[in-house]
Amino acid sequence: MDWSGWALFGLVATSALTVVMIAAQLGGLTRLDLPLMLGALVTPDPDKARVAGFVIHLGVGQAFALGYAATFALLGRATWWLGALLGLLHVAVALTVLVPLLPGVHPRMASTRAGPTSTALLEPPGLLGLNYGPETPAVTIAAHLVYGIALGVLLTAG
Amino acid sequence: MESAEAGTSWSIEDYALIGDTRTAALVAPDGALDWMCIPHFDGEPLFGRLVGGPGAGTFVVGPVGTAPIVTRQYRPDTTTVETTWQTESGRLTLTEGMVATVTGQLLPPTLLVRRLIAHDGPVEAIVTFDPRLGEQRAQPRAERRHGALVCSWPRVAVALHSSPELHLEPGRRSPITVFPGCPITLAMMVAHREPLIHVGPERAWDALQADEQHWKAWCRDLVDLPYRDTVVRSLLTLELLTFSPSGAPVAAPTTSLPEEIGGIRNWDYRYAWPRDASIGIGAFLGAGKPREARRFIAWLLHASRLERPRLPVLLTLYGRHPRPEREWTEWPGYRASRPVRAGNEAAVQHQLDVYGWVLDAAWLLTDAGRRLYGDTWRAMRSFANEVARRWREPDAGIWEVRGAGHQHVHSKLMAWLALDRALRIAATRRTPAQDVRAWTDAREQLENEVRARGFDETRHTYTRAYGSSDVDAALLVLPQLGIEPPGSPRVRGTIDAIRDQLGAGGPLLYRYPPGRDGLPGLEGAFLPCSFWLAQALATTGRLDEAHEVFGALVARSSRLGLYAEEMDPATGAHLGNFPQGLTHAAAIQAALAVRDATAAERSPGATAL
Repeated sequence: MDWSGWALFGLVATSALTVVMIAAQLGGLTRLDLPLMLGALVTPDPDKARVAGFVIHLGVGQAFALGYAATFALLGRATWWLGALLGLLHVAVALTVLVPLLPGVHPRMASTRAGPTSTALLEPPGLLGLNYGPETPAVTIAAHLVYGIALGVLLTAG
Repeated sequence: MESAEAGTSWSIEDYALIGDTRTAALVAPDGALDWMCIPHFDGEPLFGRLVGGPGAGTFVVGPVGTAPIVTRQYRPDTTTVETTWQTESGRLTLTEGMVATVTGQLLPPTLLVRRLIAHDGPVEAIVTFDPRLGEQRAQPRAERRHGALVCSWPRVAVALHSSPELHLEPGRRSPITVFPGCPITLAMMVAHREPLIHVGPERAWDALQADEQHWKAWCRDLVDLPYRDTVVRSLLTLELLTFSPSGAPVAAPTTSLPEEIGGIRNWDYRYAWPRDASIGIGAFLGAGKPREARRFIAWLLHASRLERPRLPVLLTLYGRHPRPEREWTEWPGYRASRPVRAGNEAAVQHQLDVYGWVLDAAWLLTDAGRRLYGDTWRAMRSFANEVARRWREPDAGIWEVRGAGHQHVHSKLMAWLALDRALRIAATRRTPAQDVRAWTDAREQLENEVRARGFDETRHTYTRAYGSSDVDAALLVLPQLGIEPPGSPRVRGTIDAIRDQLGAGGPLLYRYPPGRDGLPGLEGAFLPCSFWLAQALATTGRLDEAHEVFGALVARSSRLGLYAEEMDPATGAHLGNFPQGLTHAAAIQAALAVRDATAAERSPGATAL
């Protein structure tokens, strides 16, 4: 397995994914703000949360990149289209499983069962993150395709 | 009064609101639950007889035949409704509510509890459980499971448990006998795209009792408030109309209750207006509930994210655009008031005043010592910049009049407010100098223009629009803004002109001259404006008049202390969607203004102005 490639290119791919998500957010396509969502696990201040969340996101991205690198190693090759396929699998799990389950573990995210005693301020993302805007699934798929393709291409080079 | 099997003939104000902060239900005095959408406020009607006629479903629990009501009230400081009828054989009490707090417990997200208790002797009662789903009023597939009646549709299942067990069938009127000391409890639970969670009636009753304790604790610190009963009921109503999963303030839980009986002014209010959220922030802050105020600002920021710096007029509960407005052509409407609409076309309008409400709410938080997060301030700056860019454009105004826009004076004043409050907040934190310059310049130009073009010197009043001879009851917010001293002749002249030209008898006001909105037919007096009048009078030192107006409005509330959007001046009947969050928020703010003016009068050396 390409360990040095994983160490460096995991960060590059996660940064590229983050750039796509932030660009989509600034462009008014989605309200999904991964650094804010992750950082709000540790602080209620949105500005501080984004900093903490970015660091957490890099860590999570690195962990996922390990899976990509291991898969490439197992298959004996790394290509852009293989990276894209893994990206699609990744985003499918993220949108249908991970994101909808977040309210169950996130202390500052309300669930659809929230009542008047709830102190959570982040609204639940819902299936496919649709509560954060109708374009959210498309944006998230695009971002993960970029992530997978980046890893596929870069780990080939590495 | 018609039977439970027919369309409702109850007046709008006869209904009681129960809810769980995710959805809500309206219950008539005969125990007919005639309106409830699932899984949320803006979902499909499960019981829709209120506007959908007899085929749209109802859930009746009450005495056989017509029985006079002895008492009907909310249990003090709770959202539980208690109705007692006098029947020939004894008194019968129905206690009902919805369980709001279900997190951390294996409880269904929608849990309705209704308990019948007989006093004096056995009482004959009836239960009619007739759920119909959606616009199609689809009948369910029914079966008995786990000792319950389970009604199901492809995406939805509803279970009705009873203790002692009753053999009910959907749509069938089931006579029962209630014996003293042996209450009959019914618990209805809803599953939407998820498995049913069956809860026995006794456990459901316990959950409702726990909820009551929560509401009582929530109300405990609401002290030193004038008109406390009205204020507390209004605060609880706003709480019930706040969609807890996102914090969105729902304007009203209903669609298409008419502003004119038999007319076409029937709108869908099951959405959230940023304006209402902002007014709610002031109401909750003033009543000493900062957590609830922060929840609204959090919703505002999140919901407006996609379109920033434009502020949308209204949004769904999760901050999406409402679906295009549609008419449910098969629905007969409340007392033949057609069409019944789903969706709201006002969503696409440009309403300049919204920015003023939102920035004023941000200033209220700042002024109360609540630090705005950097994220919040960036959003507010973008809104202020938008106002500085667009204030010259015509808009649809606060009343959402359809058609071409106008130069509404109220909108201009609220734009001034937006810039003024942005500058006030800017003085407390680091702000780019070019922003401050742009806001200062725009505020000055706005002030000069609105004073020159929006004020009628001959009649001593601000007007509805530039060059218009009409006045606008929305201008009653003028004393709160700061563009004019509250005691100035211009403010007094405007208040008096509004009372004179828009007065509808007693404390009631039309929002603008009736019929001047391009729609056929007329509408009732607009209740929030009456509370704004009380607030304006209190703020300008006319405390006795403020008390007079407020007292008269309290007398016009429903039996349960609720208000619709409008009122028929001739009959006192409530009109429009019910209950209306904006009216209740305005009532709270008026009471707070009375409180503050009274305190100012009593404080040596202080002035009310």
